[in-house]
Amino acid sequence: MYKQIKYQEQIIGAFKEDGGVRVSFGFTDPANTDYQEYLKWLAEGNTPEPADPVE
Amino acid sequence: MTQAAALAAYGSSSPSNRNRIINGGMVFDQRNAGASVTPANADYTLDRWRSYLSQASKYSVQQNAGSVTPPAGFINYLGVTSLSAYSVGSSEFFSIQQFIEGFNVADLGWGTANAQAVTLSFKVYSSLTGTFGGVLQNDGQNRSYPFTYSIPTANTWTTISVTVSGDTSGTWLTNSGRGIAVWFGLGAGSTVSGTAGAWAAASYFSATGATSVVGTSGATFYITGVQLEAGSVATPFCPAGGGSYGQELALCQRYYWQQALGAANIMLGIGTVFSGTNMNGFVQFPVQMRTAPSLVQSTGTNYYYFERDTAATPFSGFSALNRASKDAGQLYISGLAGTSGQAGILFTASSSAAIGYSAEL
Repeated sequence: MYKQIKYQEQIIGAFKEDGGVRVSFGFTDPANTDYQEYLKWLAEGNTPEPADPVE
Repeated sequence: MTQAAALAAYGSSSPSNRNRIINGGMVFDQRNAGASVTPANADYTLDRWRSYLSQASKYSVQQNAGSVTPPAGFINYLGVTSLSAYSVGSSEFFSIQQFIEGFNVADLGWGTANAQAVTLSFKVYSSLTGTFGGVLQNDGQNRSYPFTYSIPTANTWTTISVTVSGDTSGTWLTNSGRGIAVWFGLGAGSTVSGTAGAWAAASYFSATGATSVVGTSGATFYITGVQLEAGSVATPFCPAGGGSYGQELALCQRYYWQQALGAANIMLGIGTVFSGTNMNGFVQFPVQMRTAPSLVQSTGTNYYYFERDTAATPFSGFSALNRASKDAGQLYISGLAGTSGQAGILFTASSSAAIGYSAEL
């Protein structure tokens, strides 16, 4: 499960966390393989968890 | 060209960048620093070496596992240990692999009429004997060249050389994507194994009939000195970095940089409090990375701290690596209380903290 990341009210990326290890990535570089995996996951019909509010 | 002629040519030119495999000597293990890991699918272990498997927990990987004497001229190897006697299903697979970036194999001309042959060489040591397998494959996983090699004597280093004709068909990336994938099989089922010694328009993960390492509990498979070079002759192993430790590390860091691991008070960057509750830090990567990287971090209570204005504010992890380029990025923390405008330094606070940046293929 991915969760979105928000910065100054904009969704800028997403992360997934497993066993205390968090992998986060931005939505700017299409060659990033974590981003590619995320897009594939979305294409399979999944939906990420919304980002926490910016404090 | 005869082997003698090829070696003579090698001696006169001695190109230090002929090896397309990075960390073929298994020297660098930034992520785990020599610790044993049981990889999940697609996890990287030693630098540039990825595990690709259909069932987790069937093998572990460790630099210099078992502490055997490496072959002459080497100090490291990648060690695989089977964790059970697993019967591999017909579509299952277990392997270690390296993706070679397209830029680094563009000159081979694969996918064209001018495709050059390559030779894969390596040194291997196993508790098992018999015929083992591997494969060379393209990014689209629709061009595969399964190969076999023999380990005649258990627990002895054996030098292997396999020459592969260049593929004149298929699509082979010549950009920053996956150019050639080199796989070493640890067990593969019948439907994902192909006939050795020929190109096939299929997705194979090993050669038909190859020994299953994961099929024997406690079986070991150790490998080092991996080299893929143009031509039909295996020349003596030369690291992709030309023998320079620093250059080879830099090549690894194009794909992954472990900034902090296993210690407190490792400096991560400088930062400023942006708006009273947000901190923006700056990190510069040591080399230009393949892509804007992902941030890979361990998270936990008080793993990190931000030191400024005679105080240290702890935090559990970064919210994001924002506005990353191939060269630098912004370490962002949401919810870190502070006085807007104050500057400080970011550190690890725990030996459990870990920060890495991944631009892997």
